[in-house]
Amino acid sequence: MTTSTLNRPQLIWRALVLPAALVVLWSLLDAFGALNGDIIVSPLQVLKTSYEGFADGSIPGATIATLLRALVGWTIGASIGLAFGVLIGLSGVARGLFDPSIASLRQIALFAWIPLLSAWFGNGEVMKITLIALGAFFPMALGAQAGCQNVPAPFREVGRVLELDRRATLTKIVFPAAIPSILAGLELSLNIAWLGTFGAEYLIGTGYINGMGDGLGAYLAAAREYARMDQVLLGVLFLALIGVALDRLVIGFSRRLIPWRMP
Amino acid sequence: MADALTLSRPKTVEVGSVQISDVSKTFRVEGRTVHALDDVSLAIASGEFISIVGPSGCGKSTLLRFLAGLDGPDSGRIAVDGEVIDRPSLKRGIVFQDHRLLPWFSVEKNIALSLHSLAGSEAEKRERVQYLIDLVGLSGFEKALPHELSGGMSQRAAIARGLAPRPPLLLLDEPLGALDSLTRSYLQDELLAIWEREKSTVVMVTHDVEEAIYLSDRVVVMEPRPGRIAKIFEVSGKRPRHRDDPDFVTIRREITDLLAHRRD
Ligand SMILES: Nc1ncnc2c1ncn2[C@@H]1O[C@H](COP(=O)(O)OP(=O)(O)O)[C@@H](O)[C@H]1O
Ligand SMILES: [Mg+2]
Repeated sequence: MTTSTLNRPQLIWRALVLPAALVVLWSLLDAFGALNGDIIVSPLQVLKTSYEGFADGSIPGATIATLLRALVGWTIGASIGLAFGVLIGLSGVARGLFDPSIASLRQIALFAWIPLLSAWFGNGEVMKITLIALGAFFPMALGAQAGCQNVPAPFREVGRVLELDRRATLTKIVFPAAIPSILAGLELSLNIAWLGTFGAEYLIGTGYINGMGDGLGAYLAAAREYARMDQVLLGVLFLALIGVALDRLVIGFSRRLIPWRMP
Repeated sequence: MADALTLSRPKTVEVGSVQISDVSKTFRVEGRTVHALDDVSLAIASGEFISIVGPSGCGKSTLLRFLAGLDGPDSGRIAVDGEVIDRPSLKRGIVFQDHRLLPWFSVEKNIALSLHSLAGSEAEKRERVQYLIDLVGLSGFEKALPHELSGGMSQRAAIARGLAPRPPLLLLDEPLGALDSLTRSYLQDELLAIWEREKSTVVMVTHDVEEAIYLSDRVVVMEPRPGRIAKIFEVSGKRPRHRDDPDFVTIRREITDLLAHRRD
């Protein structure tokens, strides 16, 4: 049976096989006393910690703080990236002005911006959001630029022979042709923003001083500090789950937005 | 079928005459020079139906692109109604060999796009689009996206898009190539009917010698490397023509012989 003949629930069950097997293996190892409590705690312990985390509100609180931070940074970065990308993709002058600089800045690893940004903005929220936005900016700008620049020549020619004016050429030919590339940029920018959010929370600042408001990254940093392996595992688990959920959300949205197929 | 043409255009002056004089074009392909067209000259009268046949690579599409204004020759002159072509125009409609429907628009919207830059009310345009959809036999597929259509259906939608603005000069690049023989002969007759009604000039590239003779006033036979006109055949005989008429058979033999001969 190929994947395409499976329906959605079947696919979901299949995707859960590996994680479930790992949990079983983990439990067995624990049952036989093979786990060193300092490095890997038991599944039961993680479950208990997550119950406590939910009961005192620290896990949902941190999750919401992280999500909010990610979404704000992503929205800002992706919006500016979209505008820039479209501009550079459409205008030769703008491309000449900005493209070389953007291409160079893009080579700087996201976390290498931290020293510079913290010198400018301190270690507060402004700095974190800026870092996340910066991460989201580049893939979005690149996707939008590529999409607007690489409209297949045959489609452009259709616009020419139908004497479409500039506005109609943009709305009926260039932008639709660019949408797949723009959405790819959007997906990637969300990925990077999510990574950047964790990095910002984990690396910047002074630890878990503001409590749950500092997010999952700070929660993890604190957990590591106090050697709370149960909390570390829980935090990682949550980051992964939310990352996957965000990714799926954007992909689902993309599919809905482009029902057509390129020839 | 009732004539539902609503985008009216005064038809007082003769339009759509073509003058092609000494047109040459070379392409550089992987370091080699390809003589796509070499010193091609051809005058087409207003209202004429011309077919171009010839082996692939003899410059048929290139010539059509020049007429559409999408490309220009290296040397020589191409004029429509005495005016040198320097850009595409809705007065010169082209149906591309690869149908080129926009994948993000439905059949309906693809056809309507060719009316976008024309004057006329939305209602008029909608009526015109529906008339053409019916004409090419795509009723029921108004909302279908191009990837949901067969090759033949896409080609028919592209023909509808080409016809919609009622261009005085209609350029068709193997428009019926992807169609089954039944649809094909139906659309040949529809094409003739439209041509007679609109009094437009038609330049059609085709692989099908019979189709060329059935439809055209003249059949231009081209040869490749370098691309040029080998011979032009006048087709007399009133329409509708019959494929087993002695004249029809004779001219078909002459053209196929010439094509077979030029191929070696
Ligand atoms: N844009 C182009 N770039 C390079 N070579 C081209 C281009 N367009 C056409 N040619 C070449 O010119 C010749 C004529 O092409 P074309 O006009 O498409 O022929 P036909 O339509 O008769 O098959 C071919 O050898 C083709 O490879
Ligand atoms: Mg061709």
